[in-house]
Amino acid sequence: MTQIKVFGPGCPKCKATYNNVLEAIRQTNTEAQVEKVEEIEEMMKYNLLTTPVLMIDEEIKIKGRVAHVNEIVDLLKK
Amino acid sequence: MGKQTLVKEICPTTAQTWVKNGALLVDVREKDEIEQLAFDVPDILNIPLSEFEERYSEIPKDKDVVMVCAVGSKSLRAAGFLVNHGYTNVVNMQHGITRWVQKGFPTKGDTSLVTGGGSCCASSGCC
Repeated sequence: MTQIKVFGPGCPKCKATYNNVLEAIRQTNTEAQVEKVEEIEEMMKYNLLTTPVLMIDEEIKIKGRVAHVNEIVDLLKK
Repeated sequence: MGKQTLVKEICPTTAQTWVKNGALLVDVREKDEIEQLAFDVPDILNIPLSEFEERYSEIPKDKDVVMVCAVGSKSLRAAGFLVNHGYTNVVNMQHGITRWVQKGFPTKGDTSLVTGGGSCCASSGCC
């Protein structure tokens, strides 16, 4: 199962990224576990500076901006 | 701001003492924010968070360093980044320039930006 994490302190861009992830999963029928991570300690553990951050299977894919649905779809198809 | 144990945090009053004792202030706000309102201290380095990964090595490892931003959230992440990269004399200033201004500590620029109920999320880079 694909593990997806969206890091961010709860700002609108972070929420938009999280919602885009859910939509991309729906479009691709991906079996995934999605986690919204808002704890600062977790962000520091991964050395994340700018948010939101999209992480798929422990690999940072997009950071510092909203990940769009089509981008996430492409990432999930790889 | 959530609990964390990686980085020591100090209040603006303590930060002011650190500055008087020679600590370096590192402001991670973006350039446009600093142009509007800046800390007025003798030893300060501006490294925007958006450039931090490329430029963090400009920060000396042999000095006491106080990380600052608008409200203390971005600077906390940057401080954690430094600790993870081997910096041992780094602390984060809680509540950022907002509380610094409220305390009447020295600044350059328009303080109404932070006394007038400004946002925690400034112009760039999300939160």
